[in-house]
Amino acid sequence: MKRFDSTVTELQPVASDYFRITFQWPVTLPLPQPGCFLTVSAGSGFDPALRRPFAFSDVDPARGTAAFIFQRRGRGTAWLAERRPGDSLDVLGPLGAGFRAPPSGARPVLVAGGIGLGPMLFLARQLHQTAAAGRNEVPILVLGYRSASQAPSVDLPPGSVICTDDGMRGFHGSAVAYLDQLADALPPYYYACGPVAMMAAIDRLAAARAGQADWQAATEQWMACGVGACQGCVIPFKDGGFKRCCADGPVFNGRMVDWVGLQE
Amino acid sequence: MDLRVNIGGLTLANPVGVASGTFGYGDEYAGLFDIDRLGALYTKAVTPEARAGNRTPRLADTPAGMLNSIGLANPGLDSFITDKLPALRQRRCAVIVNVAGTCPEEYQAVVERLETVEGLAGYEINISCPNVKAGGLALGTDLKLVESLTRRLRDCRQRPERPLIVKLSPNVTDIAEIARAAEAGGADAVSCINTLVGMVIDVQKQRPVLAMGTGGLSGPAIRPVGVACVYKVSRAVGIPIIGLGGIGCLDDALQYFLAGASAIQIGTALFRRPECALEILDGLAPWLEANHLSSVTEIKRLLKV
Ligand SMILES: Cc1cc2nc3c(=O)[nH]c(=O)nc-3n(C[C@H](O)[C@H](O)[C@H](O)COP(=O)(O)OP(=O)(O)OC[C@H]3O[C@@H](n4cnc5c(N)ncnc54)[C@H](O)[C@@H]3O)c2cc1C
Ligand SMILES: Cc1cc2nc3c(=O)[nH]c(=O)nc-3n(C[C@H](O)[C@H](O)[C@H](O)COP(=O)(O)O)c2cc1C
Ligand code: FES
Repeated sequence: MKRFDSTVTELQPVASDYFRITFQWPVTLPLPQPGCFLTVSAGSGFDPALRRPFAFSDVDPARGTAAFIFQRRGRGTAWLAERRPGDSLDVLGPLGAGFRAPPSGARPVLVAGGIGLGPMLFLARQLHQTAAAGRNEVPILVLGYRSASQAPSVDLPPGSVICTDDGMRGFHGSAVAYLDQLADALPPYYYACGPVAMMAAIDRLAAARAGQADWQAATEQWMACGVGACQGCVIPFKDGGFKRCCADGPVFNGRMVDWVGLQE
Repeated sequence: MDLRVNIGGLTLANPVGVASGTFGYGDEYAGLFDIDRLGALYTKAVTPEARAGNRTPRLADTPAGMLNSIGLANPGLDSFITDKLPALRQRRCAVIVNVAGTCPEEYQAVVERLETVEGLAGYEINISCPNVKAGGLALGTDLKLVESLTRRLRDCRQRPERPLIVKLSPNVTDIAEIARAAEAGGADAVSCINTLVGMVIDVQKQRPVLAMGTGGLSGPAIRPVGVACVYKVSRAVGIPIIGLGGIGCLDDALQYFLAGASAIQIGTALFRRPECALEILDGLAPWLEANHLSSVTEIKRLLKV
């Protein structure tokens, strides 16, 4: 990990209030893996005082760039949405431990809700590549949105499924409802990133299915240091303990996370 | 330029330290800047038993600052000694352990035990944490308790070369009185300030953002409070003062030195820009030279009031 001043190469709107920002990634740094994140310092001076965390959605070693997809929500992301090519971007990363490979013989089923899009797209592309090399089964990417207008205009890997609550596009219903009715010769192995309510529902589904002792959840929590020093970003676990989202995660076995505690 | 400062018998290579709770046990930031150049590293609070800490969320963003309610999460004294201390000992900077507990006996248990291990430079007694129900702030606001706790720890200390630094809370009517009580109890130095009690309410959800309701405010927003506290305390006691609260650049640090601090700590600003601690350090010598001073402790003489 390193803190450095990068340069924005592209800022592209991908849906209403969603953007993909691409910036230079020095070849001397480790290549970010799906599930890993970075923090950026938004605004100027020390206001806001805290860096903002985002999960990588892309790396392009040939062009020396990396990217993340973000939603404009508050002052940090509003500032980010105003960046233009050539602007500098204060980046700290790569941080955290990414996703682990799926078990053999299982279908990687990747679920993205809301701002979980970036890391899931990144993972889906990587699992398609490793599937082509015979290292795992071909993954399915499932994206959930309230309405068709919220669905992003990004290149989705083949076999991706869009679910909308209003049924205006793709599967009519939530991403979890889609998983529930999915019939497949292979047992599913879930990866997910999205709102806590969605993660909790996936966990219940995983628990209900025999043999799903493990699924991979990319978690989110407010962060201060991002490097494991402050204990601010902890995620509650079902055993009553806590783990640091930034340094022990952000990817955890979803069965272990106390989703009810996290939602409260 | 000689940047050394003396804190109650302990010589620090320079006056720039990193604040308790913002720097873990050191190794977390190792890849980001050269920690060995710091004058001192103040560890996360150590309590006799492991503490999981408070419910989440523990953090909230505020104008030019943040709230935290970590709740003194730490692995406990045994684990600190076996798991954290070996790496800390390798550091060239002075390692000062932040000590906390729920009652005087717990503070004593930590100090007594740490007196038996090598590789530590001193103790910072956290009587001012706003995030725990027992001990913490309750101890730090009672004059008699501050004096008797300080005396108790001083009496059990075997190694006088390790200064006893009492960390003061700004959440009191008169911080100077508390500083005097610490001095009367035999403190070698005081550090100020710890965080200010604060609350952020989510208007949409109509409830506090932090699970615990309130938390401790830190960052640039509290700097004027910290500078005023150091100024008041410096007029009340003769022991050295370590200033902190919202320091992020050289000018911020100089305000504290002018107010009467002999050394400083950097906390929340590290989250935004970890290497700001070294940038402040690198700016000190040129500033002293330009102002024809030969040590940081001379800076306070420049203040005109
Ligand atoms: C490991 C990790 C990866 C992330 N990846 C992405 C990503 O790929 N794309 C993306 O758009 N966002 C991502 N986030 C969330 C992102 O960090 C926040 O949306 C962002 O910090 C908001 O900043 P702001 O200043 O715009 O909003 P603020 O004004 O600070 O807050 C606006 C709203 O966002 C919520 N919020 C702020 N920070 C967080 C957080 N860390 N976790 C949950 N809610 C938060 C607050 O509840 C508030 O209501 C990630 C967070 C983490 C911890
Ligand atoms: C996340 C966090 C954890 C902290 N933990 C401790 C602690 O364990 N012991 C302590 O004495 N102070 C603790 N503090 C207080 C800081 O050491 C410091 O006094 C305060 O943050 C003001 O300085 P700053 O504005 O530079 O951060 C903590 C502060 C923060 C932000
Ligand atoms: S953000 Fe500080 S420990 Fe994770």
